[in-house]
Amino acid sequence: MNGNDHIRWSEDLAAYALDALGPSEAAEFERHLECCEHCQREMRWFEPAVQVLPESVERQEPPPQLRAALMAEVRDDAQAQAPARPEKRRSWSWFARPAMAFAVVILAVAAVAGYEIGKGGSGDSGRPTVLSTSEHGIEVKMVQEGDGGTLHLANLHQLPPDKVLEAWVRREGTVEPVPALLVPDRKGQAETTIADMSGVDTVMVTEEPQGGSETPTGEAIVTMAVPQ
Amino acid sequence: MAVRREKAERLADEELMPLVGRKDPEAFEVLYDRHGGAAYSLAYRIVGDRAAAEEVTQEAFISVWRSGARFDSTRGSVRSWLLSVVRNRAIDFLRSKAGKAPKLDFDDESVLEQRPASERTEEEALRRETAGEVRGAIGNLPGEQAKVIELAYFGGFSHSEIAQMLQLPMGTVKGRMRLGLEKIRGELAEGLA
Repeated sequence: MNGNDHIRWSEDLAAYALDALGPSEAAEFERHLECCEHCQREMRWFEPAVQVLPESVERQEPPPQLRAALMAEVRDDAQAQAPARPEKRRSWSWFARPAMAFAVVILAVAAVAGYEIGKGGSGDSGRPTVLSTSEHGIEVKMVQEGDGGTLHLANLHQLPPDKVLEAWVRREGTVEPVPALLVPDRKGQAETTIADMSGVDTVMVTEEPQGGSETPTGEAIVTMAVPQ
Repeated sequence: MAVRREKAERLADEELMPLVGRKDPEAFEVLYDRHGGAAYSLAYRIVGDRAAAEEVTQEAFISVWRSGARFDSTRGSVRSWLLSVVRNRAIDFLRSKAGKAPKLDFDDESVLEQRPASERTEEEALRRETAGEVRGAIGNLPGEQAKVIELAYFGGFSHSEIAQMLQLPMGTVKGRMRLGLEKIRGELAEGLA
């Protein structure tokens, strides 16, 4: 990269921090950012300037009915969820698309091909089962141990500030979010724990808005079939 | 089991988040009471309409509640995260309203206006001081730099849309964004020194 190139990235940096680059420009900038320590440092320096912008607005008093309506919904939700959580699961509509189903079949084969059983097989209690595959250049490893498992991802791109990676499990035909979001570290690695793997036949990862989503909103960047 | 309201009030935001993740309404209520005002103010600043701001704020907080409050502390404070969720929802709202221009007041010096005094805690005092510094930092920006930052952050416009709108080269718009953010950042750094 020469000096002129860097001036260009340097100009893009503030626009990126303000979420003002177009989608393709933002993706290009992210690819640069992931391998440029100078821009990473600059981005970290700029972030507080963007984060304080919302504090600059004129204070408005929220209407009391907003709090009342919000808390009524939250309390109803909490009450309804506690005893009957499995019934709250939603079907994964896009999962049923033929193209996606086909992709899952292919990936199931890939995952099984990379299926390593920790020196004894899944029936050998106490020993971890490791599934591995790769998709879109992302290396995926699922380590199952006991009732739970850990999903490891490597070779991830850095995400824009308003995006996170979210893992999902499909169990008995319904999809549930994995509580802990995935955030790539500087090496492009991320992991999350799945507390209960019982009945899970597929693990997937999507890019979601910050804070995560209740149901997947984007195409899966990783799909791994879990042999039963 | 829900923690009692008094206990939740003593917890830091970062300590509340796991409770919110476990669907504790009391913890969520404290979170709203701490940040709901800022969230609604930001939503109103972006959408320019009270009913829409109410809708956006409610949707944002409900998404936080329903997503299990999966907050990542390595990427900033709870407040910054919450406000970014609100900002994204508000911009989405604007974009979904085809043809509806965002409220952008360049001449009303809105960034310099003061919030009403309600200094109840040390944290709030610090926040108000920071808000004052930010308003000062933005207010001190040359108008053309403040304008492009406001159009991008509060209007959700891309740099190319702003360039077209202001009939400026795209490089000029990006340059002004950079200079403006540098000045705000510089003033924040001075304030902390």
